[in-house]
Amino acid sequence: MTASSTPATVPAMQAWGRVRSGRRSADRALKVLATAATVLGAVVLGSILLMLIVEGVRGLTPALFTEPTPGPGSEGGGIANAILGSLVMTAIGIVIATPVGVMAGTYLAEYGRTSKLAALIRFLNDILLSAPSILIGLFVYTLMVRPMGSYSGWAGGVALAIIATPVIVRTTEDMLRLVPGALREAGAALGAPASVVIRQVTWRAAQTGMVTGVLLALARIAGETAPLLFTALNNNSWFSPNLMGGVPNLPVMIYQFALSPYDNWRQLAWAGALLITAAILALSIVARVVLRGGKSR
Amino acid sequence: MSATATVAPTPGASRADETAPVRIAVKNLNFFYDNGFQGLKNINLNFHDRQVTALIGPSGCGKSTLLRTFNRIYSVYPGQRAEGEILLDGRNILDPSIDLNELRARVGMVFQKPTPFPMSIYDNVAFGIRLYERLGKADLDARVEEALRKSALWDEVKDKLRQSGMGLSGGQQQRLCIARTVAQRPEVILFDEPTSALDPISTGRIEELIEQLRSEFTIAIVTHNMQQAARISQFTAFMYLGELIEFGQTTRMFMNPAKQQTQDYITGRFG
Repeated sequence: MTASSTPATVPAMQAWGRVRSGRRSADRALKVLATAATVLGAVVLGSILLMLIVEGVRGLTPALFTEPTPGPGSEGGGIANAILGSLVMTAIGIVIATPVGVMAGTYLAEYGRTSKLAALIRFLNDILLSAPSILIGLFVYTLMVRPMGSYSGWAGGVALAIIATPVIVRTTEDMLRLVPGALREAGAALGAPASVVIRQVTWRAAQTGMVTGVLLALARIAGETAPLLFTALNNNSWFSPNLMGGVPNLPVMIYQFALSPYDNWRQLAWAGALLITAAILALSIVARVVLRGGKSR
Repeated sequence: MSATATVAPTPGASRADETAPVRIAVKNLNFFYDNGFQGLKNINLNFHDRQVTALIGPSGCGKSTLLRTFNRIYSVYPGQRAEGEILLDGRNILDPSIDLNELRARVGMVFQKPTPFPMSIYDNVAFGIRLYERLGKADLDARVEEALRKSALWDEVKDKLRQSGMGLSGGQQQRLCIARTVAQRPEVILFDEPTSALDPISTGRIEELIEQLRSEFTIAIVTHNMQQAARISQFTAFMYLGELIEFGQTTRMFMNPAKQQTQDYITGRFG
């Protein structure tokens, strides 16, 4: 095999005509199917959003944000109490879930790793992640509402926390696992105990991902209805600092008002649905921006 | 053809001092991975004070494994264990009663890939100091500057100490990691292929730096690059399949190796 010998000419047909026409049409068919599926998904999502905007925008009045939900048969009204109640319960949920989720995720990624206990926790967490949210509502109902003798914002917050926790556990562990082991070794090589390495090095390295996880958990619980049905329920009165008794909130308000026979109630439900969708969309966008910002750094 | 070594130590390389006191004495050291694989087989070796000892050998020969026993960094991973003795100033560091964090403050380590922490240049260097010493701001500033000067990085970063260490070039990051290690004032510094991820110019600077650091620290360096071992070390240990094949003064090892395997490796016949 010498480099100087002239290479034999390859017949052009043999070199270029090798892809069978069957393969080409299969390729084309798959492309069409995939595109069609994408378009179908986008159209469904788009029409939901479009209807929500068309129906909801009409209800976006100043009164929506200033007045409490109206009684049956009365005119006008807003959803100020439901917005506030949702904010408070979501806040309670995330305030409970974040430390628990971050600590558990840290345990799994940094301490437990391949241990049996860690594997068990990971398995249970995955189950919790996909548990029907109504079950969590019932669980908190038995745990808090029944013994306390009343629906409450506290119970609602706890139910939301239980839904948010597995999301945060999962993202925290995933993000910490992305931190290169070399960084942990470097910390240990300087004589830093594991706790110091975790707090000052690995958490910092995974910071943006972990914040994104919390934001996504926030978006997840902001729209949850089922766990609140059995815990916070609803009430039409103006929000009071006392979280005992029913606490108004957007998802349950939407559920109840949308099924009502009153036009103004149904309009408020549309407006509430639009608000909550916009809020979740905004949270998801912020989460993505945070993550992208973190990557380019 | 078989008798000539292709790699000769540079004429300027400082001579080995065999009378220097022994800093680390390795005695009958065996090392096992969690899957039962024996990574080191009965190693006996001395590291002399303020000398550079290079560990060379083909991939998987155990040179990094040996280096990683000196600060017991292997214990980050469960299941790995070392048997035998490693005496650091006469004390066996494999003894379970040894405080690992204290050991690692005395035996610093620089890794293959630069590992700056996600924090400012200043905080990177101060990280190790803050672990064991409570210093006032002025004292801490002085220690950080001292460490960065010793690592030949000060002039490049003195105006941006508050910027992230991640923003530096690869070679600068590696010198930052050296500064971080030096700042703790260890006695021994372990280098695990510190230049294999760097360009030739950065490599040259790190090598000069190691030569300077030798006046103060005992240095062990794992390298794949035989020219590098010849240039910067006073002693060389050649390892193969978990065993120490030959150890001696670098000049002699490269000019006149005693074992055929050493000869074959340094002339590039395998590995």
